[in-house]
Amino acid sequence: MRIFWSLVLATIANVAQAQNAELAASVVDEQGRPLADAIVVAVPADGSLRLPARPRDGVVDQVNKEFTPKVTAIVVGTPVTFPNNDNVRHQVYSFSPAKRFELPLYAGVPAQPVLFDKPGVIVLGCNIHDWMVGYVYVSESPYFAKTGSDGKALLADLPPRPYVVRVWHPQLDASEESTRQNVDASSAGRLAVTWTLKLKPEVKVRRAPTAERSGRY
Amino acid sequence: MSGWYWRRCFLAAALGMGCLALPASAEGEWLFDVDAGVLYDNNLTRAQAPADIRGDGAASVSAAIGSFSALSGNDGITLAADLRAEAYWRFHGLNVVGLGGTATYRHKFGVGLDAPWIVGAVTASYDDYQGNVRTGGRYALRAELGRRFSESFDASFGGVYDRRYAKYDQPVVPGISGKPFELSGASAYARASYALNEELLLGAKLEVRRGDVESTARPNLEIFEASSAIAPDPTFGPDFFAYRLRGTTDTATLNGSWALDDRSSINLSYSAERTRAYAGLDYRSWVATISLAYRY
Repeated sequence: MRIFWSLVLATIANVAQAQNAELAASVVDEQGRPLADAIVVAVPADGSLRLPARPRDGVVDQVNKEFTPKVTAIVVGTPVTFPNNDNVRHQVYSFSPAKRFELPLYAGVPAQPVLFDKPGVIVLGCNIHDWMVGYVYVSESPYFAKTGSDGKALLADLPPRPYVVRVWHPQLDASEESTRQNVDASSAGRLAVTWTLKLKPEVKVRRAPTAERSGRY
Repeated sequence: MSGWYWRRCFLAAALGMGCLALPASAEGEWLFDVDAGVLYDNNLTRAQAPADIRGDGAASVSAAIGSFSALSGNDGITLAADLRAEAYWRFHGLNVVGLGGTATYRHKFGVGLDAPWIVGAVTASYDDYQGNVRTGGRYALRAELGRRFSESFDASFGGVYDRRYAKYDQPVVPGISGKPFELSGASAYARASYALNEELLLGAKLEVRRGDVESTARPNLEIFEASSAIAPDPTFGPDFFAYRLRGTTDTATLNGSWALDDRSSINLSYSAERTRAYAGLDYRSWVATISLAYRY
């Protein structure tokens, strides 16, 4: 009997999922090249957000004196750990308004994760290695995805309804709001959305050796 | 060999060994830099009279191995052993192999890439020239205060005290030292660099040094009377002598660095130098270098 009801519930869940919408996002730059690390966010137009009760922990690693991944997307309320997989110590910090924090010089995994409780973009740095830069995008909506190297991202399981969809990228040369698109996903099925973004040059502290060889850090 | 010689060799060796010992600690971070290239110096003799001026090019290589250790989020120490070699096309007496060490302490006043910083550094080396008159030890003390104003632009200023010793005493005039390359001086400098894009970094440095300067020339009464040390300098010919004078040297340097990737770059540098010494000596020189740098 228990097996029977399990099958019924699974079938109902599958049917409900099948009725959900999907958003296939494609992001390119002005030259038409696929853009990786762009965050696509869909916000229900009626503002009805159902955030997960306990979001899965996020992880921003440090490997070879770089943040990995360079861009991380999480939903608001997500705790993030910053394990250090280098054999040197790092001091991770952020001065971004959405989350100011500092993890004093450490090796290994810090005891406490950092809770990102406000939506926004958090720029990460390391006080020892100035060239290290990373980004945490904290979404107010649970419906988001990051583009891969092909510039594509899939937002699956969207409850059928109209959405306001926007995109963010570390080099975006405009406000995130300017990328808004209204998408009507009231019926099940896959919808395609594309963006062509104007980018500004990436500005980061240089890591390569210079002509002046005094002082490494 | 005199006591000072061994003391300085010991100092250079201690610095080098210290840098090798530090990575044994859990927080030590190995560093390895190597830089190979060519240079041209249009006035190696640092002479005023056109007949005495000699220019030449050289192949150069330098390497540093050591460690960086973060003492706190704001403080760090770098210890490195340095090796350098130069081989000249024509004037083989300038060929040199140098071995030494550098200890650098850096403090950052706060958190963030734009936090000001201060550096204190000690460099010591022993330079073995093919021409004996230049052979000897040297050390320098440096203090520098700087700040990164953005990801692209940073600037600093500082001061250096340098001291150079000569291993061989080759007096030619009774009562006058035969160590013209035993020099000391103090410098002040300001430098800045700006990254035009991810690859290209441009830099500039202005420096003023007050202290002993060396000039090589044929016998000259004015220079002779103002000299505090004189020795034969056969590198440039049998009738050339090296003189030590007091003087002021102004140096302007422009450099450009093209990053090939995160670990290597091609670097160009041009330095123009003007020295005015007591004997009315006023000479100019320039040095241009191109090199490939790799950092592990």
